[in-house]
Amino acid sequence: MKPISVKKESQYVFNHCAKYLARDNSDIRHNFGQFTDNDPAARICESWRFPIIDSYSDGIDFETSYAFNTVTFIYPDFDRSVENVAVIGSFANLYEPMSLTRVENSCYFALSLLIPKGQVHTYQFLVDGVLKLDPINPQTVTLDNGKTWSRFFTEFCTVPLSFERWEMVLLDRLTDHILPFHTESGENFLDRYYENLDRAAKNAQFAHAYRLDQSVGVVNFIDKLLARSERHFLDDYHTCLDLTNSILRGRSVAEIAAMPKAMFVDIYAEMASGSVNGWDYTRYSNPRFFLQLLRRHTFTGAFAHPKYGGNSAASAWAFLEERYKSKVTGETLFDWGRVIEKPLGFAPNYHG
Amino acid sequence: MEEEFDVIIVGSGAGGAPVAHTLVNAGKTVLILEKGPLFLPQYQDDKGLSDFKRDELFATGSEKRITLSGVSNQGSSYYSSHVEPDLNDEPHIYQSADGTDKATLEGYTAQVVGGGTQLYGAVSLRFTETDFRLGSFNRDRTDILNDPNDDIRREAPDWPIGYNDLEPYYTKTEKLIGINGTRANQKKFFSADNYQTPYSPNPISRYVEVGMDALSLPRYRTPLAVITQDHAPSGRKVETDLSEPAKTGLVNRYGDPMGYKSNTWVALLSPIKDKDNFEIRCNCVVTHIENQASRISRVFYRDPCGDQKTVRGKIVVIACSAIESVRLLMLAARENADFAARINPNDLLGRYFLTHCFGGAETEMPDRFDKSVSLDSDWATDAFATEEFIRSKGLWAGGAVYNNTSDQALPISLARTHGSQDIDTIWEAFVADTAKTGSELLAFLDRDFGTRLSVSFMANQVPLRTNRIELHPTVVDKWNRPSAYIIKDWHPHDIYLMDTLAEQCKNILAFGGDNGIGNYPVEGFGAVYMASNARARIANHILGGARFGFSPDDSVLDVNCRAWGFDNLYLTDGSFMPTSGSANPTHTIQANAFRVADKILEVI
Repeated sequence: MKPISVKKESQYVFNHCAKYLARDNSDIRHNFGQFTDNDPAARICESWRFPIIDSYSDGIDFETSYAFNTVTFIYPDFDRSVENVAVIGSFANLYEPMSLTRVENSCYFALSLLIPKGQVHTYQFLVDGVLKLDPINPQTVTLDNGKTWSRFFTEFCTVPLSFERWEMVLLDRLTDHILPFHTESGENFLDRYYENLDRAAKNAQFAHAYRLDQSVGVVNFIDKLLARSERHFLDDYHTCLDLTNSILRGRSVAEIAAMPKAMFVDIYAEMASGSVNGWDYTRYSNPRFFLQLLRRHTFTGAFAHPKYGGNSAASAWAFLEERYKSKVTGETLFDWGRVIEKPLGFAPNYHG
Repeated sequence: MEEEFDVIIVGSGAGGAPVAHTLVNAGKTVLILEKGPLFLPQYQDDKGLSDFKRDELFATGSEKRITLSGVSNQGSSYYSSHVEPDLNDEPHIYQSADGTDKATLEGYTAQVVGGGTQLYGAVSLRFTETDFRLGSFNRDRTDILNDPNDDIRREAPDWPIGYNDLEPYYTKTEKLIGINGTRANQKKFFSADNYQTPYSPNPISRYVEVGMDALSLPRYRTPLAVITQDHAPSGRKVETDLSEPAKTGLVNRYGDPMGYKSNTWVALLSPIKDKDNFEIRCNCVVTHIENQASRISRVFYRDPCGDQKTVRGKIVVIACSAIESVRLLMLAARENADFAARINPNDLLGRYFLTHCFGGAETEMPDRFDKSVSLDSDWATDAFATEEFIRSKGLWAGGAVYNNTSDQALPISLARTHGSQDIDTIWEAFVADTAKTGSELLAFLDRDFGTRLSVSFMANQVPLRTNRIELHPTVVDKWNRPSAYIIKDWHPHDIYLMDTLAEQCKNILAFGGDNGIGNYPVEGFGAVYMASNARARIANHILGGARFGFSPDDSVLDVNCRAWGFDNLYLTDGSFMPTSGSANPTHTIQANAFRVADKILEVI
């Protein structure tokens, strides 16, 4: 089955390409550690935005449309040397090529497809018959057969992309220690909240957000952030999680998931001070920097829109909604649902 | 044969759109060239979607780092909005207090059709009558404090127009843009009341009401460019199936997917968008203008692929925000000595760059409210802009004071602006405050979420010749053009004025928090000059640099905002302002642009 292609105006393509791609200057201005300097993506701005992952609507039923993203593939041809561009990918049976169209005689080829939320796909471009990786998108994956493909994922994705299982378990413990949900009141709330989301409600309201192993899904948020827009911190995480893992295992024989909370209190405090007993400073010089990074990612992941992979089932918003209520009327003092799109919230006319 | 239009306008924000609106309706052929994308509100999209979202991560996106060489903050993090320029591609450089050059996000409004009016908080105050004549007001005074070199009496200029010249255009702007507010207690003459009815104030603003009343400060509902009712001039409708639907807490620094916020696209350009004599080319950046003697002959721009194009206009209006407009003129002058001699005979281009003196007070109030159900501001007062107040404090000029309702209304904005108010330093304090973890983080939310209230002032800055925009000697943008170089500092009187007005803001909260007694503790009050990056801070109020005046000896532009040395070149963004006014500038930029449009109609 081929995914449905969606007609997007030329203006849409220009709106989402010109700022990032068009330029004269070829300095390496956009490499924060995520590229080699000869990678062409180091010379363009926010290359992670490609392919463009956007909301979808059929213009009729916004709630059924909510199950899909519009994914727009872009192939730039600044010197106008290319005749035909197609994309082949795991989203179509038998990797059947689907053609990109040159937009209004411009330098941009484009194709928009309807792809379900929560998915990961690999693809390549067929440029005048030659298979090529997406020259913009920095996400690649090497498959079992040793071949490298370009990759994208849609919103509400929960497939691990950046971390291995043990890293996620450790990161869960570290983020738990930062967030307020492992306080007594926080745990009580989350247990009730997820229990009360019965199966029907989950299917209807939160089809793409369910309780993950990790409280409110922050680890999944970080996994997706490092796969795409903040890929330049991926090595920081791999190195620091490895160092932290070694130190904790040296301090206890228990599995990470079963280690007492006090061990995470201690290592958090040590990282905050910059002086961690047993830390290999030749591998990573500043554990406090990593902790600060983790603090920003954790807080953002907990409270950002659930489409980014954290704040699972809007549980962190619901936590604030329940915790803060008027002493006089009992009404909530964080009525987030009134402005957020259905089916997540209940804004009557905003479509997300 | 090159295309030719009656009028080419560079920029579609507060300075450009009123000109386009007026001239298109008068039958002239008009082309707008806009660097940014055209993001439609939902009601204009055939599938009912907008490129603006109610999403906190749209205001401050993923971490990026300054990679430019030659700046001392290379390696620093920044987080820009999806419609702000990328700092590495299109840098603004400023001279910091330690003498080094730094890149800054300050001084960019937004790169999108509608410009800064897409992201602004929409506070739409008129300037006061005194703001237009600060030269004559101060000329013979002997009571101005903290002005050791007598700069104010030497430098303070009158505008070549008075309040009464602009008043009909304020009225017109209020009608066409779509602004809600109240007129009673405003200390300015109004020939008509075109305000829509404001929404109910957020209940946290009750403390501001009490404080202002206790101090006998006449208050009014802050005029906001957000529609609360159907708006006939732009054809916009307000949905009635949710109470006060524009109140979202996602106001300042967010585009509005519903189009309730009266940006210049929905308010002024949408009504003319289908006319045959109007065209807007988006994602097209103007790189250069060329003259033949006293006429601008061609405008050079890059299309969405970066290919160079040219176009001709009988009149050329530049309105791409003061720093960028000045830069465009300087780039043209650098290429052509004749252009330079015409635009800058007296070394005034780029001089007298201005922003506002701004600051205020903020504290945690005794009770919690749902601040996410809010617009940007509820109450304002003109009490600190009266000549009586100004004289009583030995000030040269006054300022508007109003409360902010929507700041820190949402969880991520609470954390990322914790301990820092500007876009260059967001997240820094929160991530460094490592004690806020677990139960301590919960205590932080318990204390600060929905409880914090701020009162701000926006006041005139002393115009100084040394505060200026130049072309940076080494840093270039993604088109290899020299970047803008911002060189400015605060005058001793600015600091005195900011301290004086911050004190008034503090008093409002001190009296408001304890029912008029005046002892409520106010944690924080101060002003922009105290910030570590004080020299960069602009608040996106980007003014001056090509001021209008009485003669070519004192100004870059004539009274009609036409460049003195050219027959057909106009500037209509904030660059024309000789003083920055005692209020947010957008409303005055729009009113002046409507005025200039009428003047252009007289000559075209």
